[in-house]
Amino acid sequence: MKKIEAIIKPFKLDEVKHALTKIGIQGMTVLEVKGFGRQRGHTEVYRGAEYTIDFVPKAKIELIVVDELVPQVIETIERAAKTGKIGDGKIFLSSVDEVIRIRTGERGRDAI
Amino acid sequence: MQFESDLTRDGLREIKNRMAQAAPTHFSPKELLRQYSDTIDSIVRKSFQKAQSIVTSPSVCLVAVGGYGRSELAPYSDVDLLLLYSSSQKPDLPLLIEKTLYPLWDLGLDVSCSSRSISECLQMAQSDPYVKTGLIDSRYLDGQYEIFRTLYDLFSRKILHQKVREFADTLMKDFVLRHQKYEDPAYVLEPDIKEGRGGLRDFQIGRWVIRSKYKTDRWDSILFPDQSRILDRSLQFLWAVRNELHLLSGRRQDQLTFELQEKIAPILRFSPGTRGIEEMMRQYHLSSQRVYNFASNMLERVLFEPSSVRKASSAFKRKKLDSSFGIAHGEIFLLDPVTFKRDPPQLMTLFRHCQTSHAKMSFQTEEAVLEALPFIDDRFRTSGPVNQSFLSILKKGEGVESLLKKMHELGFLSHYLPEFSEVEGRVHYDLYHVHPVDVHSILAVEELIKLKAGLYHKELPLLTSLIQETEQTEILLLTALLHDIGKGVEEDHSRVGERLVSQIGDRMGLPDQDKQLMAFLVRHHLFMLEIALRRDLHEEGTILRFANEIENLGNLKMLYLLTFADIKAVGPEAWTPWKNFLLMELFLKTTHFFERAEGTGALPKKGEVVEHLIQWLPPEVVSEYEEILPPRYLSSYSWKEIAHHIEMACRLEREPLRVEWSIEGNARAEMTVCTKDRYGLFSKITGAMFLNRLNILEAKIHTWANGVALDMFKVADTTGGMERRLQQFKADLASVLNGTATIRDLLLKREEPSMIQKKIIPRVSTDIRVNNQDSDFFSIIEITGEDRLGILYDITQALTDHGCDIHFARISTLGNRIVDVFYIQDKWGEKVEEEDGIDLLKQTLLNRVTVGTS
Repeated sequence: MKKIEAIIKPFKLDEVKHALTKIGIQGMTVLEVKGFGRQRGHTEVYRGAEYTIDFVPKAKIELIVVDELVPQVIETIERAAKTGKIGDGKIFLSSVDEVIRIRTGERGRDAI
Repeated sequence: MQFESDLTRDGLREIKNRMAQAAPTHFSPKELLRQYSDTIDSIVRKSFQKAQSIVTSPSVCLVAVGGYGRSELAPYSDVDLLLLYSSSQKPDLPLLIEKTLYPLWDLGLDVSCSSRSISECLQMAQSDPYVKTGLIDSRYLDGQYEIFRTLYDLFSRKILHQKVREFADTLMKDFVLRHQKYEDPAYVLEPDIKEGRGGLRDFQIGRWVIRSKYKTDRWDSILFPDQSRILDRSLQFLWAVRNELHLLSGRRQDQLTFELQEKIAPILRFSPGTRGIEEMMRQYHLSSQRVYNFASNMLERVLFEPSSVRKASSAFKRKKLDSSFGIAHGEIFLLDPVTFKRDPPQLMTLFRHCQTSHAKMSFQTEEAVLEALPFIDDRFRTSGPVNQSFLSILKKGEGVESLLKKMHELGFLSHYLPEFSEVEGRVHYDLYHVHPVDVHSILAVEELIKLKAGLYHKELPLLTSLIQETEQTEILLLTALLHDIGKGVEEDHSRVGERLVSQIGDRMGLPDQDKQLMAFLVRHHLFMLEIALRRDLHEEGTILRFANEIENLGNLKMLYLLTFADIKAVGPEAWTPWKNFLLMELFLKTTHFFERAEGTGALPKKGEVVEHLIQWLPPEVVSEYEEILPPRYLSSYSWKEIAHHIEMACRLEREPLRVEWSIEGNARAEMTVCTKDRYGLFSKITGAMFLNRLNILEAKIHTWANGVALDMFKVADTTGGMERRLQQFKADLASVLNGTATIRDLLLKREEPSMIQKKIIPRVSTDIRVNNQDSDFFSIIEITGEDRLGILYDITQALTDHGCDIHFARISTLGNRIVDVFYIQDKWGEKVEEEDGIDLLKQTLLNRVTVGTS
């Protein structure tokens, strides 16, 4: 089982969610995050006063997926989240040791 | 241990089941409580009497206290007992208590019993408010009646009616503390019917204050008849809900969780589904608000009433405010009790006085307001002075939030603005909307006032300075109050709200400008957040379309402020710096657009695109392209041409390059090239033109958001044979684009002497400017210089070599001078902003323009 974390542009959230549900993904966690990479925050001026947006708002999606589905999920996210411009984001893949469903106690693949 | 009577644990459960079946249709939930209490009475008495027959004990008395004492016992409430004995004795009680309680516990009842002497009781009641309040509701059950009688007489005389103010103070502290705990939005969505705000305990507090001060339990006599009827209905509702909570859970459950809301709504005969739940919760909010008002009013009466000494001297402290009102001790009173009936507009004057004098209304005045509500009619609502008064209250700003709350509490607001009554107590059934719509709207006004007062200047400097710049705050506040007024109707509430707000604006006699602003703001109150969250703010098209819809900077500022107030007032989790970053970016970029008044011509309005294109194209295609076409492109072509271009674009899968032309005379042609955009495309096209000795007089290039390049050229051929040249151009371009050749190769192949450039001494001076100010999205390169064949190829080649991506270009030739404007971005989709980069670019361009192809 693998954990996929994707940091994407906020307005792409609907598109990515839609694309993932189309390939059968039923659950995901979404967070509002901020950060910066090569795309920095910037300062704007209004009436002579400077306003700095120093962190760039992004959306983060987390999902746990069985190994076989990983390539498809990653490709789906990549395609849906891409604009080709700076700040499109990143996808991280890591291994998950165990998944448990609290209500029933199911473990492993059944709990995903 | 059982007694010989028929009652068993199951028997008791049976009784409760029968209660459960009777409950929903029972005409009075309170009756149900009493019946259950009576049932428990006989059980308890039986048990006590049996215990007494076993254990010899001297004079004792069994007393019911607390809720049980009131004969208000919900199916799983605690049964609180007191075993009272005369102070002179010290009987052996533990065994008696044991024998009484054990059978009751066996039945599954939650019983507790304390034993005290009369003097102990009195002593504890002095110091412990819980004992005191328990005793207020005490009731004789069994045993020696005189003992209870003695206790109660002493209690009433010496304790209950003494130190009323201190008692109220203690109750007030409990009131406030408890509400702080239950203010958490989680409790607003899933309220505690007993302990929450405006819950049953709050009602008891009001009752206890009345008992203590006015020595009566007839709380309905203290209140106005209408008020007391409404309060009674509210109580019946709360009791009905609590009964169901207990019966459905099979235990003491006072919190109305989501799960239970779903179950209870249909039982209490509300509509099926979510609608019914919302109706029920609306009823809850209205009821609990009334109970809350009742309790806090009673507490205030006692706590803030001037002492008798001050009352005596008050005659000197009274002051007249005008011919109808006076003020004393920070309270406004009526000089003539029938003022409001005679002259209803004085109601609004009263509120204005409250604001200017920083005072509140006396209770009599409040009652007079309540009495006068039926006199508020359309004449009142359309009265010029009344409406001006209201607006000036808003404009002044001071204390507006508490005034609005008071207007709301008294029902004045929904009589003055009947549209408002539709949204009273109305809830939106989800986790996000914490407050009912009316409360939310008043909170939105409150947030704007806090913003204006500078409370948020650290976290929100921009918004703070915006509101302080705003001249017409009263219109903004009024809009905030009414922004959700369209809710509760099936239709889109922004549109409904727009209509209602226009109606209200007419009635209030507002100037057209203000009415239009209000209507605009209500119509668009969700729009700014939607764009900020759902659209790419780095796309120029997004900003242009948004600006087009917003129309001007004034609207934009007000909308940002309204959006802030709306989100902030939804619930504590709703407004985050994260959201604000996005809103702020949208605001600033759009502001720049308005300030520069970029001449992109008249941009089509939302919906216009669809309207026009639908004549030529199928609907799926039109909706796909609605937001893809850049605004600059749209203002350059007719709708018919646009439809044709879209058709070309749709065929690109099969025909990757489309070139169409029309020749005028022999020396000129207009040509359209449509293909998939790629890095360096423009340079390739101009190269192929140069290759074929086509001089570019004018060009407009556009890049659509879906990656289609749509380029239009006006070309001239100096040597004749236009058709042939164009065909060759198309062939050359096709092979360059599919990779079978490069421009360089082709140039070398066609070694015509005149193709080799010599160093040129320009007669027109070359000027190159890099402009990073006029667009948030692109670096704008402006080049003027002498026209020559191939110059556009050189320029575009230089830009491409430099890593620039051309999004839009406008090429024109005036006589022998070229005026070229390029909107470019670097490879990352950003402007070219570094000093070194800019200098280098200028240098490269300059060389290429003057020296030519090498």
